[in-house]
Amino acid sequence: MKRFACSGCSLLCDDIIVKSDGLFVSEVIGACLKGKERFDQATSQNRITKPLVRKDGELKEVSWDEALERTIQIVKKSSNPVLYGFSNVTCEAQEAGIKLAKKIDGFIDSNASICQGKFLNKAKSHGINLTTITEIINKGDLIILWGANPAETIPRLLNKVLFSRGKFRMTGREIKTLVIIDPVKSASFNVMGVRDLSLMIEPDKDIELIRMLKEECCSADSIPSEGVAGMDKDDLKRLLLHLTGAENGVIILGQGVIQPHPDYDLVEELLDLLQMINERQEKGRISLLLMGGHFNMAGFDHVALSSHGVFGKLEFKDNQLVKTKATFVSKIEKKDFDSSIIVGTDPISHLPFSLSSKIAKKPLILIDNHRTATSHVAEVVLPTAITGIESGGLAYRLDQVPIELHKIINPPNNLPSDEELLNQLYELLNKGGSE
Amino acid sequence: MEFILNTIRRIDNDQVKEFTFGTEQSLEEKLAVCFINPKDFDKLNLVSSLHLKISNKEKHVIVKIEKDDNVPAGTVTMPVSIWSNRLSEVLNNELLYKNVAVNVEATREPILKFKEIIQELLVKK
Repeated sequence: MKRFACSGCSLLCDDIIVKSDGLFVSEVIGACLKGKERFDQATSQNRITKPLVRKDGELKEVSWDEALERTIQIVKKSSNPVLYGFSNVTCEAQEAGIKLAKKIDGFIDSNASICQGKFLNKAKSHGINLTTITEIINKGDLIILWGANPAETIPRLLNKVLFSRGKFRMTGREIKTLVIIDPVKSASFNVMGVRDLSLMIEPDKDIELIRMLKEECCSADSIPSEGVAGMDKDDLKRLLLHLTGAENGVIILGQGVIQPHPDYDLVEELLDLLQMINERQEKGRISLLLMGGHFNMAGFDHVALSSHGVFGKLEFKDNQLVKTKATFVSKIEKKDFDSSIIVGTDPISHLPFSLSSKIAKKPLILIDNHRTATSHVAEVVLPTAITGIESGGLAYRLDQVPIELHKIINPPNNLPSDEELLNQLYELLNKGGSE
Repeated sequence: MEFILNTIRRIDNDQVKEFTFGTEQSLEEKLAVCFINPKDFDKLNLVSSLHLKISNKEKHVIVKIEKDDNVPAGTVTMPVSIWSNRLSEVLNNELLYKNVAVNVEATREPILKFKEIIQELLVKK
């Protein structure tokens, strides 16, 4: 039995005990439901273990040579490819993806650009502190879940940050206050204690709460007696008291808060509020933790920054990096692409129909290890090993901390890792074909 | 009737799980579904044998209905999936998964099948 990090979600729990003979995983101890499912993926019925190519409208199993040849044909024919995904692969594979994008003059972006990445960009300009899991465990006294439901998306997050005992505090859960702001009473509400604060906000009214808190920060008693956005005045006063009195508070943000709005920028408004609160704070501070689903959602930005000095998306022309204002969404919306290479993600399920229908209409090469909606529309499907079980490498945890993932068993049919496959495509293009 | 649609992630209605371990039938069972407040369920004169047709300006989807006390009145929630994303939108180059204005009505029409959605995507290829 050995201890491994789990690639089931972006928390990358590094305390999972796995019993294996190197061929099969026989026992997994300490993993949550999502972690256990990740290990079960290795033998799942919908696992793809052989390359597939679309023939007469249907995906057929073919040899690796044939699949790679078809892939190279599509890539060579394309003058404006997009490469997308890269959040369920290691940093090494992300680096290989960027190298491939440079080779084929492509536009490359990760899932983070439609998730936590866009918040990070704005947070940097405001100078707001991000925090780490370890810091919350050791020092945290206030945890606010705003539009986030970690109980069902990152199941062990609350175990770690809320129920654990810190090094610098004599007590754990007893002194940690949990505040949940959400229009839906999610599963995360079930862990609330008597001194915690549950704020059921009316849908789409976050802006009213933020603006009221900003006003209240400047002048006392600005909260109307009827409350704001369906929340009671006394509860709002308690919220402000917690925000301004916490020694080490953290706001854990989910998709609920990073939604666009035609009339205002909720993220900007929230960041302004945090800045005001931190200026008013006398003894502590409030920092942020961004939720991300895929296990290496945070990694791509680190790799792009270290390899090309750019945060997030990269566009290449004549094998050189060029400045771009385009985003993955704008490229697809304007049909500014003629093929796509999708790595470890399922945009056909994840994106609005107006975008997924455009992606499906252009040749699509999918690199993934199990069937998805995207595999149903792909021209070519190239299967790879499951990272963290059948291949290893580096990944960044949701709090930007690097964690090493390890190979535990061999993949079926000697499937390549994502990194190996992307490097192989690069080499084939260098040689001029698939041989 | 006008409602607000919020797409959500639920551990029991997870698309990755269904794609990895399930069948098309289980995929439809778990993901072609919406959750509605019991008061709205009554207001719409719904019964368990009916389905819900949820539409925005461009698209519609027909899904099963489940009552859920935790869903605020005036809203419906759907697990993130190829079904809910027929109704999510693009706004200023960003993706709108929450607070989407939709119209809902009871229907006897069958739920939209996974194969039908894929066919629609492939048809003009």
